Amino acid sequence: MCDTIINIVNIVGKEVVRTVVGLIGVFIVVLGNAIMLTWTERKVAGHIQRRIGPKEVGPFGLLQSFADSVKLLGKELLTPANVEKPLYYLAPTLIFVPVLVTFVVIPFDGFLQVKDINTGILVILAFSSLTVLSILIGGWGSDNKYSLIGAVRSVAQNIAYEIPLLLSLLPIIFMANSFSLRDIAEAQRGVWFVVYQPIAFLIFFVASVAETNRTPFDLPEAESELVAGFHTEYSGMRFSLFFLAEYTNMFIVSAIAVTFFLGGYQGPVLPGVVWFFIKTYALVFVLLWFRWTFPRVRFDQLLNFSWKILIPVSFLNLLVTGGILKI
Amino acid sequence: MQTLQEFFHVAVFAVVAVIFTVSPIVIAYLLAPRTAGKKTFVTYECGIEPFGNAWIRYSVHYYIYALIFIAFDVDVLYLFPIALSYTKGGNAFEFYSLIVFVLILALAIVYAWGKGVFTWKRKILS
Repeated sequence: MCDTIINIVNIVGKEVVRTVVGLIGVFIVVLGNAIMLTWTERKVAGHIQRRIGPKEVGPFGLLQSFADSVKLLGKELLTPANVEKPLYYLAPTLIFVPVLVTFVVIPFDGFLQVKDINTGILVILAFSSLTVLSILIGGWGSDNKYSLIGAVRSVAQNIAYEIPLLLSLLPIIFMANSFSLRDIAEAQRGVWFVVYQPIAFLIFFVASVAETNRTPFDLPEAESELVAGFHTEYSGMRFSLFFLAEYTNMFIVSAIAVTFFLGGYQGPVLPGVVWFFIKTYALVFVLLWFRWTFPRVRFDQLLNFSWKILIPVSFLNLLVTGGILKI
Repeated sequence: MQTLQEFFHVAVFAVVAVIFTVSPIVIAYLLAPRTAGKKTFVTYECGIEPFGNAWIRYSVHYYIYALIFIAFDVDVLYLFPIALSYTKGGNAFEFYSLIVFVLILALAIVYAWGKGVFTWKRKILS
């Protein structure tokens, strides 16, 4: 009896320390990433359009994001009179839960991981579906036509691209026979999976651009037709929570792509964490680059591209993978 | 017990995420100014008085995509356990079962394609 209690305390104690350390680390990554990415996005946008971008606050405008976040904190918390209050308040909270939970299983290094759950990728996929729900709740609760149309579009888009996303991850699981992200990263010690699965990598990347609602698939928040899409009625701090979630999602999809296809934290000379961040931010940069290069697609093109091309191709890819594994 | 322990972190992170999202709103509530203008709380609609509310019926003719999705996504989930236990080399039976399963799944797309779900008719003639 006494032994079991000590055992439980031991286990719980260890886990608690792990959680606290993990939480601190994850918050540094989340906030640092958001602050850095808002600055980078504006800087990249500026240079692609032959402007300088932000330059006034701090050296090279580096402190611009801090100034922006302080400004957002001081903004009035507006709640429009007609909104469905519970739903309206719930949406910004709900969109942040999957973002934070996903970080539990992402392996930053061989042991720098909050917890290696043996159903890791399922946890990520299950929680990331909550994002759609919160977008729908926010759009519906706002009682604004733009929000509602944006939300409905967003749901159609997200469910259309969720299937190619799943199907492009499956061949990797076929090869690694594991759901744990660390196992998958370890399985690429010799050759990265992108060498075996270039098509799956492309499909995953396209689908993840759509899942994060980035240009050229940013129809849910198409600013030229829908004002701001589902978060039209959100301002101040609530708006910035949506923003934070979006930038963190960019990091997360890139991190998953790196773990599944680009060898995760593997790399010569430099420590694993450094490699992980280099690869992840290279992919994030490609996402930023997309935004300032491609025009927005039409909505029927968007949906049909997924159903007519991405899904059949990923099915074929899956079958070929299954066949080759048997040889 | 073992499986519950695995998800201990997930639960803690979810709770912390909720707390984290509430705290900046509380800070903003304490810091931010408040206005009492008449028009401040009106729903935004390009500067005009909002015309009724948003909860009206309108045509979303891509809802059929959602129907295919439901049929599809549930079935794709069955591929995950297959992927976990798929052996390399030998035992071709697994491969044949995979082909049969995927072909049956793909029928859903072929059916929808044939039904014309993926072609959008022009509603306004130009």
